[in-house]
Amino acid sequence: MKILNSALTGLAVALIATSALADVSGKLVLYTSQPNEDAQQTVEAFNVLHPNVEVEWFRDGTTNVMARLEAEFAAGDPQPDLLLIADSVTMERLTNEGRLMAHPEADIAAYDPATMDPEMFWFSTKLITTGIVYNTAAPMVPTSWQDLLSPEAANQIVMPSPLTSGAATIHMVSITGHPDMGWEYYQALADQGALAQGGNGGVQTAVAGGEKLYGMIVDFLPIRAAAQGAPVAFVFPREGVSYVTEPVAILSTAQNPDAARAFVDFLLSREGQELAATQGYLPAHPDVAGPAGFPARADITLLPFDPARALAEDQANKLRFSEIFGG
Amino acid sequence: MKRNWGGERTALAALACFGLALFAAPLWLLFAQSLVSAEGPSFAPFAEALENRAVRRALINSLDSASFSAIIALVLGVGLALVLALSDVRGKRIMVFLILLPMMIPPHVTAIAWTQTFGPSSPVLGLFGLAPPPGTPNPLYSRGGVIALLALQHTPLAFLLTLAAIRVLPREMIDAARVSGAGPLRTLVRVILPLLAPALIAAGALVFVAALGNFGIPALLGIPGRYTTLPVLIWQRLSAFGPGMLPALAVLATLMAMVALAAVCIQIALSRWSAVRLIGIPQPPQPFALGRARPVVEAALGCLILGTLALPLLALIGTSLVPVFGVQLSFDTATLENYREILWRQGVTARAFANSTLAAGIAGLVLALVAVIVGYFAVGRAATPRRFAAGFSTLAELTYALPGIVISIAFILAFLRPLPVIGISLYNTLALIILAYLAAFAAIALKPVVAAFRQLDPALDEAARIAGAGFTRRLWRIFVPLMAPAAASGAILVFLTAYNEITVSALLWSTGNETIGSTIFNYENGGNTTLAAAMSTITVAVTGLLMLLLDRLGRHLPPGIIPWRI
Repeated sequence: MKILNSALTGLAVALIATSALADVSGKLVLYTSQPNEDAQQTVEAFNVLHPNVEVEWFRDGTTNVMARLEAEFAAGDPQPDLLLIADSVTMERLTNEGRLMAHPEADIAAYDPATMDPEMFWFSTKLITTGIVYNTAAPMVPTSWQDLLSPEAANQIVMPSPLTSGAATIHMVSITGHPDMGWEYYQALADQGALAQGGNGGVQTAVAGGEKLYGMIVDFLPIRAAAQGAPVAFVFPREGVSYVTEPVAILSTAQNPDAARAFVDFLLSREGQELAATQGYLPAHPDVAGPAGFPARADITLLPFDPARALAEDQANKLRFSEIFGG
Repeated sequence: MKRNWGGERTALAALACFGLALFAAPLWLLFAQSLVSAEGPSFAPFAEALENRAVRRALINSLDSASFSAIIALVLGVGLALVLALSDVRGKRIMVFLILLPMMIPPHVTAIAWTQTFGPSSPVLGLFGLAPPPGTPNPLYSRGGVIALLALQHTPLAFLLTLAAIRVLPREMIDAARVSGAGPLRTLVRVILPLLAPALIAAGALVFVAALGNFGIPALLGIPGRYTTLPVLIWQRLSAFGPGMLPALAVLATLMAMVALAAVCIQIALSRWSAVRLIGIPQPPQPFALGRARPVVEAALGCLILGTLALPLLALIGTSLVPVFGVQLSFDTATLENYREILWRQGVTARAFANSTLAAGIAGLVLALVAVIVGYFAVGRAATPRRFAAGFSTLAELTYALPGIVISIAFILAFLRPLPVIGISLYNTLALIILAYLAAFAAIALKPVVAAFRQLDPALDEAARIAGAGFTRRLWRIFVPLMAPAAASGAILVFLTAYNEITVSALLWSTGNETIGSTIFNYENGGNTTLAAAMSTITVAVTGLLMLLLDRLGRHLPPGIIPWRI
């Protein structure tokens, strides 16, 4: 009897021990460009599944996050385990520099292969498009990018700057690469008195506050705000919208790769994608329904985008943009 | 006869280490970058930078906004200080309290509050139906707006410095003038202002340098108004292009340092020309009677103070009560949801308050002590310590003139790797933020203390030396008590500046080490103006409470330590 008791106790302890070993723990450092509340919610939802992980996160526009990371690379001591930023072009650059760690076990079978890195270094989590926002008191309702060049929009346009926002960088490449628009479109916008400042949050504030009537912005901000009563509306222009996929990746210098992999798995899982939908984003998972206020995925026209060209011309593009819009 | 140098040598050595570690090393790392090109040491980056039209424009705008706002702030601040310290208006304590309150509000919050006062969705103007129609550009997004708000932001600084200086004036001079029959105006112009001259020059230089390095106001008002200043240009370029830009940015930082150095040199020259050694105990003068003009003056002061304080605060509170920015404030739409989110859901707020209080408190105390020691050496007889103290002061003022962004970059580069002996890296700790505060705000504590030391009668020190007192004893028994008002003013100023600031912690904060400024700025950047407004309102309320607490404490402290207890 005594032997049986001890054996059972031993088995129970072993089971508990292995299950405790099986769950990830420790500190996890995340650098992200998501808005504060969304980052906080994502971390809290992750902690429900993995309570022993202590997540520290740093939030800023993608370009600013990369500046901080570059400073850390230069000093030889990168801090984060994970990056969750706006655009995949930056991720490609990091892959080429050998800064990322692959996660081959990630389950991406259900996803569109075009949104995922074939070498499994980074994984898209959402579909965030950039279109036009307008204040509902505006006299003209835009339906195409060219409407922003009309006289009613003079001195009434605000847009995020690629010097802060990753989404704005991708948008710049998409627009200037479009045969009907190109850099002449941006020059015409500058002649219209368009203001290029900061991130998408600033655009939302300016248009909702009525200081400017029109803006270029990521989709979830105005759609979410309009649902709460703000006097704004979002338009998917005729020619199409640019898009970023908010990829997540593990750094090669990660201190806690197990927890990092668990975080990536969470973001790609059904729960993670449904969380994104409740936060107001269009999830990357094709079977998870998007939030209210969005058209069906099939109805959204995407502007063509060349990632290789974006990578090669990044610095030159940003300098040209700041020359046109005065920094 | 051999001089006993023991205590002074230790103090000098400690100061040297302090200066080296906090001012010299990080700045050197940064400036070394501006003198290096692909071929090795060269001046090519300077020439390149000045060729750029954007840089030239930013330099001109920086000088322009700093000069004009300094003049306005000096006139307003000194005027207010003179009226409140020298006349017999009633309610002085409350007025001084309210004048100093805007200084507590962080610059970017000031900018938010004022733009919301005048914007199309202004809660205040909207209530009276005076809100401009949607699509109207905000009048504050312009050169005038930047200068006006910079002046408003720094008026309390000039006010405080002048007030502290008036308190150190000996009464005899002014009483003698009045007994001789001089009226208030004549006493003011012929006696008081010349006696105050060094303090006024110091205040002017400090306000100029503060406006030069200010980031929050030109960032929020100047960028939309296409009026870029140097700190904003540096921040934009660094944020966008990363450390690859550091050589070019070090050049811009050096440019700013040269302008600040010029201002400091002019100030030193003017101070030497105008300084007067005074004999006698510092005592505030007898107030001038205003007679029938008193109610008018009180009413004017009241309107000024309420206008500059109440309007933006109301706009801020109004914005914090709407569910989402853009919704008009009314009884139906008002909600406390933003406060709930901040206080209960996001743990970051309590952490931010705790961190900021701790960091600013430590910085204030340490810098007050350092200022007393530097001041002692600055007016001493021995040449080497005096030159050293002068060098220390100059370094401190250069660092203060640099935008907080540049200081934080320098500190990241200097302190990212683990320290040599201890083996711990200070990066991503509150300690690094505190060190950066010590470097960035030393000038604020030094100015009032060194100015007060210059007015000190050397006979006291000499008498103590002859009686055989050592350095430490002289420090604690003579200089610290005498300098206590000036040092405490300096410490409080440092606390209030560090409590509110954003530019230093913008790149140095991390989760667990958030500061108030970084939290508010992050909310704003993420488009959460309502959360930013709610947190700003809480900050202002907490600061007001802190000031009330200090006020209660002031009853038990010698006069002069609490700035608004006249």
